[in-house]
Amino acid sequence: MTPVLDVSEMSISYGSRTPALLAVSDVSFTVDSGQCLGVVGESGSGKSTTGLAIQGLLTRDSSVTSTGSITIAGTELDPVLETGWRQVRGRKVTTVFQDPMSSLDPTMTVGRMLTFVTGSKAESLRWLEEVELRNPAVVYGSYPHQLSGGMRQRVMIALALARRPALLIADEPTTALDVSVQAQILKLLRREQAALGCGIVFVTHDLGVAKAMCDDIVVMRKGRIVERGSATRVFASPESDYARHLMESRLTMATDRHRPVGLPEPTVVSAMVEALNENRAVDEDSAAPDATASEVAVPDATEPPAVTAEWEAKALLWSRFRPEPAVRDGEPEAILEFAGVSKSFHTGGGRRGRKPVLFSVSLRVEERESVALVGESGSGKSTILRIAAGLETADSGSVRRPRLHADDIQVIFQDAGASLTPWLTVGQLLTERVRNSKRGGAKSRAEIDELVGVAMDRVSLDRELLRSKPGLLSGGQRQRVAIARAIVIPPAILLCDEPTSALDVSTASTVLNLLNLLRHSLGISVLFVTHDLAAARVISDRILVISDGRIIESVLSEDVGESVSSDYGRRLLDAVLS
Amino acid sequence: MLSFPDLRLDRGRIRRTGRRALPFSLGESIALVCLLLVVIASILGPIVSPYSPIIPSGAQLLPPGSPGHLFGTDNLGLDVLTRVMVGARTSLFAAVVTTACTSTLGLILGTIAGVVGGWLDNILMRITDVFLAFPGPIVAMAISAALGASLSSSIIGIAIVWWPLYARLARGEVRRTATSMHVEAARMSGSRGISLVLRHILPSTLPTVAISASLDIGGVIAVLASLSFIGLGTPAPAPELGLMASMGMQYLLNSWWVPVIPGLVVALLALLCNYTGDGLRGVLRARGV
Repeated sequence: MTPVLDVSEMSISYGSRTPALLAVSDVSFTVDSGQCLGVVGESGSGKSTTGLAIQGLLTRDSSVTSTGSITIAGTELDPVLETGWRQVRGRKVTTVFQDPMSSLDPTMTVGRMLTFVTGSKAESLRWLEEVELRNPAVVYGSYPHQLSGGMRQRVMIALALARRPALLIADEPTTALDVSVQAQILKLLRREQAALGCGIVFVTHDLGVAKAMCDDIVVMRKGRIVERGSATRVFASPESDYARHLMESRLTMATDRHRPVGLPEPTVVSAMVEALNENRAVDEDSAAPDATASEVAVPDATEPPAVTAEWEAKALLWSRFRPEPAVRDGEPEAILEFAGVSKSFHTGGGRRGRKPVLFSVSLRVEERESVALVGESGSGKSTILRIAAGLETADSGSVRRPRLHADDIQVIFQDAGASLTPWLTVGQLLTERVRNSKRGGAKSRAEIDELVGVAMDRVSLDRELLRSKPGLLSGGQRQRVAIARAIVIPPAILLCDEPTSALDVSTASTVLNLLNLLRHSLGISVLFVTHDLAAARVISDRILVISDGRIIESVLSEDVGESVSSDYGRRLLDAVLS
Repeated sequence: MLSFPDLRLDRGRIRRTGRRALPFSLGESIALVCLLLVVIASILGPIVSPYSPIIPSGAQLLPPGSPGHLFGTDNLGLDVLTRVMVGARTSLFAAVVTTACTSTLGLILGTIAGVVGGWLDNILMRITDVFLAFPGPIVAMAISAALGASLSSSIIGIAIVWWPLYARLARGEVRRTATSMHVEAARMSGSRGISLVLRHILPSTLPTVAISASLDIGGVIAVLASLSFIGLGTPAPAPELGLMASMGMQYLLNSWWVPVIPGLVVALLALLCNYTGDGLRGVLRARGV
């Protein structure tokens, strides 16, 4: 049987510069009808370029050059020459894009778009029903902006499938959607594929999605395929180091939350060694005579190879990094406390209406405690964080930060690139943070440099980078700079607003490991806002599930899988792909 | 009929273009080189020239190409080339001074309005509304006429009608930047007040205002020449380009070079400045600011 898609020895490079930027290098794969192939990789892996090439969307740009060929349903095509593509593109190959809002025509109703393809209203309505839209007649007459993200993606799928393509390209189709919607869309795609028997190329950075969706997988890195095989095999026993690293970095509900995530990474290891040495210095200062005790407490594993080996053997526990807590008397102190906090925003317009986003929210974060706030977009979780940070004020209710002033509360934002002032160097940003701090009085230049240097070590960034501007750094480095700025004067509480959701899997695990390390070694409380229950479970002691501005339940991270009892919480749990 | 460049300039031309591989296109590079040549000529020319711009030095109305008078002489026997070079120097200098003053004033007031907000913002912006409601060149004419005909009163006139544009531009940019994430993050890291504005907000408005200013120099040259043309600049026999063109108009039919050459020089200066400004915009945008 001939495959519907046969990509053979395809290389693609961008730009007229020499040497040209090689985005895809010598890539070959085939897809049979009824088969779903996952093209998996991190940013810069060439997966998107591959996706564009097999849709014939690289033919307009004269600066793109290629070798190799693409055969779709028997038609041999050149990745960058227009010849022949017109008969294929949008007919034999259709696409479900990442962002349905920008790929659906905003000036047309869904019905009009769909009828272009199907030819009749009855057939269009049948397709809308087919993709499980609850009210086909209403959707038929709606414009894209009147629909929700999930509904738009369903319309997109209907449009793509109504052509009865031989090959469907799904280009990160669920990335822009909430997790619970994501699961439904994947289910729908699987069902439709079985019904129509088309081949699917599923381009994604999300390993969980790939595992749930695909029969076979190619893992790409730097333009090359580093691993290929059936999804079960690749996930169970990856052969290449890179694929193994990726699979290990993936967070599921089974991830061990007492240990660092993923494989040992030099950056995190060196930060760990730093932390262990600091702890030991403190121990020796405080308990110098009792030498034996301190040696028992901190075994001599403060060299990178030893730490790496311990991590590899899965024997490295986070508790290792926690200095002995001071003797407590009575209840642990609350660092942050919300009591009946409500908030609404102006919606503007003629009605002068206000849209409530928080309804009488109460929460409490204790000393050294890490609390995760888990919810979907629009649940109000970010608003809680912004109120806690003092960036918004509550309409009613009380926010108590008992012993906190500005120095004790720091925020890490989702988009580190945007949160670092682009024209200042890393050194200037960190120095400014130290200068602005009221703690410890005025500091000399040398003292400031020392603090900044230590902060860079703690997040394992080379001190050379102090002279660079954020624009030159990678996404993971930027997020680490943001963390360094937040902890250069250690705060009492660190507020994290989805700090890993914009990062690649492996970079995200580095950032999570660093945050976990810092919260243990520096004794910082954390409020971690996320949509990802698996990440929340790893970083926090306690999870609060929030929906529509109300905190629905609070469970311990340790047994979140069993103890979640609300319907909504269970739905979030089901959405975490194993 | 006088035609002023429209002061309500199309700010849309400052688009957020994508990064360009070559910041300066070929045309812009040529314009930059020509502009530099003109600047050098206008500075060195009058020094090297054997003639005075205001003392007759030969026969009257000699055509261009006459021996010793490349651009000929005018009705008083003054060397046109010398006068044009001195005029270009005056024009360029005046335009640069005007633009620098107005953009700085506008930047400061616009930033204050954008940062402080509230009633101060309202007052400042309503003042700009008043200025923008009148046709700029006419107000500039009225002001320089009231101050008495001279180059400095033309400069003051133009400055008074031109700053609101920069104030608007700076205010918009400041307000946009003030809500951006890095300013919020800087606030969380303890920056306040003036240092927050100077370090985290103002640097993003500077390029926008600088680009706009560099593009406006050409326009200011044209407006200055226009004011001089209708007699609001330094009185004759000062070597000003607009004045030379207007005084020479009566000789247009028989001795075209007397009014046309200064007019062409104004056009050339404005054009070169505009092209170079475009190139500068490319450079600043390519730097990602």
